Amino acid sequence: MKYQSEPLRDALAAEYALGTLQGSARRRFERSLKDDPELRRLVTDWQSRLAPLDALAAPVQPPARVWNAILDRIRLASGHRVSPARRGLWGNLAFWRGAAIVSAMAAIVLAVSLSTITPTKRPQEMMVVVMSDERSTPGMTVSWPMQPKGEAKIRIRVMGHETMTPDQAWELWMVPGGDQKPVSLGLINTDVEQELTVPRKLMPAMNEAWGLAMSVEPAGGSPTGLPTGRIMFKGQCVKL
Amino acid sequence: MADNDAITELMARCALRDQRAFAELYRQTSAKLYGVAIRILRRQDWAEEVLQESFVNIWNHIADYSTSRSAPMTWMTAIVRNRALDWLRRPNLERGDEDYDLLVEALPDDAPGPETLLGNSRDARALADCLKQLSGNQRQTIMLAYAHGLSHGELASHLKEPLGTVKTWIRRGLDRLRGCMDGKVN
Repeated sequence: MKYQSEPLRDALAAEYALGTLQGSARRRFERSLKDDPELRRLVTDWQSRLAPLDALAAPVQPPARVWNAILDRIRLASGHRVSPARRGLWGNLAFWRGAAIVSAMAAIVLAVSLSTITPTKRPQEMMVVVMSDERSTPGMTVSWPMQPKGEAKIRIRVMGHETMTPDQAWELWMVPGGDQKPVSLGLINTDVEQELTVPRKLMPAMNEAWGLAMSVEPAGGSPTGLPTGRIMFKGQCVKL
Repeated sequence: MADNDAITELMARCALRDQRAFAELYRQTSAKLYGVAIRILRRQDWAEEVLQESFVNIWNHIADYSTSRSAPMTWMTAIVRNRALDWLRRPNLERGDEDYDLLVEALPDDAPGPETLLGNSRDARALADCLKQLSGNQRQTIMLAYAHGLSHGELASHLKEPLGTVKTWIRRGLDRLRGCMDGKVN
């Protein structure tokens, strides 16, 4: 049942947020929230209006068993653990500061927009990296299917960059995290859409990587096998 | 209470499946959210279940947050509230041996105004000001309903008032609240 009149919609949203909408009316209302973003907005507006009342609930420490139970349930769900980056330049959290929030929030937006596209076949698990500069402005995005059939290709999209000179090249690096050194994925150019083939044996490491970085190297790439030039863009990997 | 910006950053890291960030998020917010669950369910064992389910839900649906327009604590609290309210409406639920009483007596007309209870933020003061403009009955039923997740019928029963009267207090009270608070935004 679609609620048509605006005052009725808002009154129901209010009572839903308050908690007095109950039983079958509440379930009906919840079902209609799924396809009605405007109605969801009415609800969140009411939740925000009433939120200061939460201050009336005195905090109470929950028993430790609650946290243990939560941990058990989320570990069961995903075998994927993020390696905590602690030491070394590349694992240093300061290196990622700025990029972290941008990558995460942008990837969340991407995840939401991707999830609204109805897949015609079973959706693949994708890794997405939104890479941004020192000022946290996104400059490029990289994505790849985590279990590719055939060749392992990563898709690159360049959104904006400084002017490059012919004696400069862009090199893309996979940053595993922790103490491990970055691994070169090869040279890319400034084209808006590109694909880079990655050796299949690198895919497991790619799928566990902390993030990606792109450095400005001399033409032909880094002479040392590690980044020598300035890191222009970097971002953290987000699994979708 | 934890700062909203700090919580947003923790939630962003949770989206990256950073379990350390999730542990920190739990550390900073669980006491508050457990308090919310206890106030609605009034039983510790039920509140523990609801808290656990809510945090698993938060971990699994962290991506939904970016589309919400509320503060992160409001979003998390709404998850706990909804889970607790759903719990109360389960068929065959056995009530009667609650650990906590309703706070019916805590909000008589001459009690200190809500502004002393809600806090100092701009949103809290706006709500407190607008609550003051409601009639005592409207204010009391709304605050009781929110704090304890009471239905119209339960409110009527505890306040010993007719069902229709309680419904009207709530409906008119919410109407006036919205009018008042929207006025404050502009």
